[in-house]
Amino acid sequence: MSILETRDLTKRFGGLSAVNRVNVAIPEGAIYSIIGPNGAGKTTLFNCITGFYPPEEGEVLFMGKNLTGLSPDRITQRGISRTYQNIRLFPAMTALENILVGAHPRLRSNFADAILRTPRQRAEEKTALEKAMKLLEFVGLKGKGDLLARNLPYGEQRRLEMARALANEPKIILLDEPTAGMNPNESRTMMRFIENLREELGITILLIEHDMKVVMGISEFIYVLDFGQLIAQGSPEEIQRNPQVIESYLGRGAA
Amino acid sequence: MRDQLKASARSGLIFGVVIIFLMLFGLTKTLSDILGELFNLQSITRTGNSGGLMLLFALLAWWAGSRAAKEDKENWKAVLRNGAVSGLVIGSITALFTFLVGSLDGADIEMRTYLAQLDRPSVQFLLYGRSIIAGALMTFFIFLIFNLVGALASYILETRHAGGYLQKKYLQIKDRISGTSIVVRYKEHPQSKWIGYGILLAGTLLMPQFLGKYWNYAMGTVGIYVIMGLGLNIVVGLAGLLDLGYVAFFAIGAYTVGLLTAPAPIPIQWSFWPVLVISILLAAFAGILLGIPVLRMRGDYLAIVTLGFGEIIRVLIRSDMMSPYLGGPQGVRDIGGPSLFGISLSNERAYLYLIILGILLAILLTNFLQKSRVGRAWMAMREDETVAQAMGINTLYYKLMAFATGAAFAGFGGVLFAARNQYTGPADHTLMVSINVLSLLIVGGMGSIPGVMIGAFVLKGLPEVLRELDIYRLLVFGALLVIMMIIRPEGIWPAPRRRMELHESGLEEIPPDESLIGEEG
Repeated sequence: MSILETRDLTKRFGGLSAVNRVNVAIPEGAIYSIIGPNGAGKTTLFNCITGFYPPEEGEVLFMGKNLTGLSPDRITQRGISRTYQNIRLFPAMTALENILVGAHPRLRSNFADAILRTPRQRAEEKTALEKAMKLLEFVGLKGKGDLLARNLPYGEQRRLEMARALANEPKIILLDEPTAGMNPNESRTMMRFIENLREELGITILLIEHDMKVVMGISEFIYVLDFGQLIAQGSPEEIQRNPQVIESYLGRGAA
Repeated sequence: MRDQLKASARSGLIFGVVIIFLMLFGLTKTLSDILGELFNLQSITRTGNSGGLMLLFALLAWWAGSRAAKEDKENWKAVLRNGAVSGLVIGSITALFTFLVGSLDGADIEMRTYLAQLDRPSVQFLLYGRSIIAGALMTFFIFLIFNLVGALASYILETRHAGGYLQKKYLQIKDRISGTSIVVRYKEHPQSKWIGYGILLAGTLLMPQFLGKYWNYAMGTVGIYVIMGLGLNIVVGLAGLLDLGYVAFFAIGAYTVGLLTAPAPIPIQWSFWPVLVISILLAAFAGILLGIPVLRMRGDYLAIVTLGFGEIIRVLIRSDMMSPYLGGPQGVRDIGGPSLFGISLSNERAYLYLIILGILLAILLTNFLQKSRVGRAWMAMREDETVAQAMGINTLYYKLMAFATGAAFAGFGGVLFAARNQYTGPADHTLMVSINVLSLLIVGGMGSIPGVMIGAFVLKGLPEVLRELDIYRLLVFGALLVIMMIIRPEGIWPAPRRRMELHESGLEEIPPDESLIGEEG
């Protein structure tokens, strides 16, 4: 059974259909990719799934339940995390605080707990901090917890964003170009890291990626978007041979 | 090099302006007399100690010069150049000023009518008892020469490879001072900060015993502003919601205690303590009410709407329509004060204790909130509202909570203010209150608890201290604020986090991203 599914999902901006009747289905524990040229609607699709854009038509199903119309915070609480194409950390908060914010949906202490410092709140803070430290170590940022997020180098910011998304203990994580701006070496490390997420934490992964080496290397299944529509889908081998995909990437006549 | 020269000139300009202000208010005279006494300098004129004045100027110039030298410590030519620029700027400004006052005085214009401190003897004093030209030139050269001296001295003493024996000694002494006993022990034992807090607390608790009625009242006002500042700090500093209508909640607190304890205009006379609780809750509730319509507004728009809300409350309490219930322009008189076990606490000292208690409570709450899930959610919202929501934070709820908490603090401040004066009226609740509270945050350092306290003292206490300067105190005060914002934009005692933001340059930074998450790539 698929953990995440869209049915005829459509999002229009004015007359333009940024996402047009898109159907995807991601099985639990899989690594799926979405590719497509610039402006194909990949990030818009992510934004529709995570609730930033209400879709005009169609629906999003998560573990069999309809998510359409829920606000982003509710959707995140259900267990969907994401990262952003252009890193969006909380720049003036420390790395550790960033992760703790990510853990927000998994913590229960409320306003009254905070001002009264109840034992429940203190116990919860302690375990949250321990978990955050573990995540920090998991993404290779041990000892950098007290640095401001904005002062970390680019690659570490990417990994911190990943740790923040993981703090939510998600069932599925949507990664928007996780290797953007990385050299081949760093990309390979990131690839292994993503595979690790699935192996060690059992998280389903849906990623948008431009780097074909990465895409072909780790995806089990690929969706190709162009002008908001799905033009192809299949295993990496099938996609590489698909004439329509080659045409949309390289232009007419190349195929 | 141009940047360095510009920086030196700017630093010189600031020094020059400050020195002119010192002269305008006669502070140069006091300081020179102190210096003259200390070093046993001969007085040249009867009006003041001219030797002391020269020494004062020389020291100020030395300081300015060593500051200018910091622009480029490694190159002695640059050090001299920067020192010279700084000296030229300070020298010419101050010399021009003394020349101007000297000439005006020479033309028999009584400047005393305009500036109380500039009588004839003072002018003579500023000219060292010499002619106008000689006095102005002396001032100019003192500043120029000692700027150069200061710059060179800091180069020789601080630049590692420049000096010989002298430098070694200097650095040794410097290390020893920063390395000795108290400082090191303090750093090694973090528990010792609790001792520091203990001393501070004991001092604060003893203070009202030694202050007179007037100063207890003045410090009480400062304290009320500390409480309000801590509240607004949560709204603006933590949650990043720019609220310019903060006075509205102050007014709600003040009027609730007024109406429920005073005999008129509403004949209810409850006792103070339950009314205190009711007022705070009512203010918090008003915070939520204001919050609901502005939930979806951000930044500037939010500021404008809250500004309007503050004005609405003020106009309402002034209006004829509401005057049967709120007392109209006359306000509410005979507001009841607190009492404990039958003893009335309605005197300045008891109120000051009550206010200190309130501050301690407010600090505790702020601290707890800051280091909790709630505080982190607020900070995340301030940093990036969209992403905060994507992290599973119900931003609408947390915004309302921020408004309510801030409003509760303001309501508390309002209760104390009104009960202490036994009166409240529309004049107490002008826009100036909101602006003052916001300014004290900015002056003290946003997000920092000691910053709020210092800010409140600077903003509400300093004008009292400067009262001797009478009508010019607000002018001095304004000038001080402007100068401070130029030389220390992060506030007097900023939160460590903000200091990091403004002064940790050179590290890689990602530019703030204003676009929505919807960019395709």
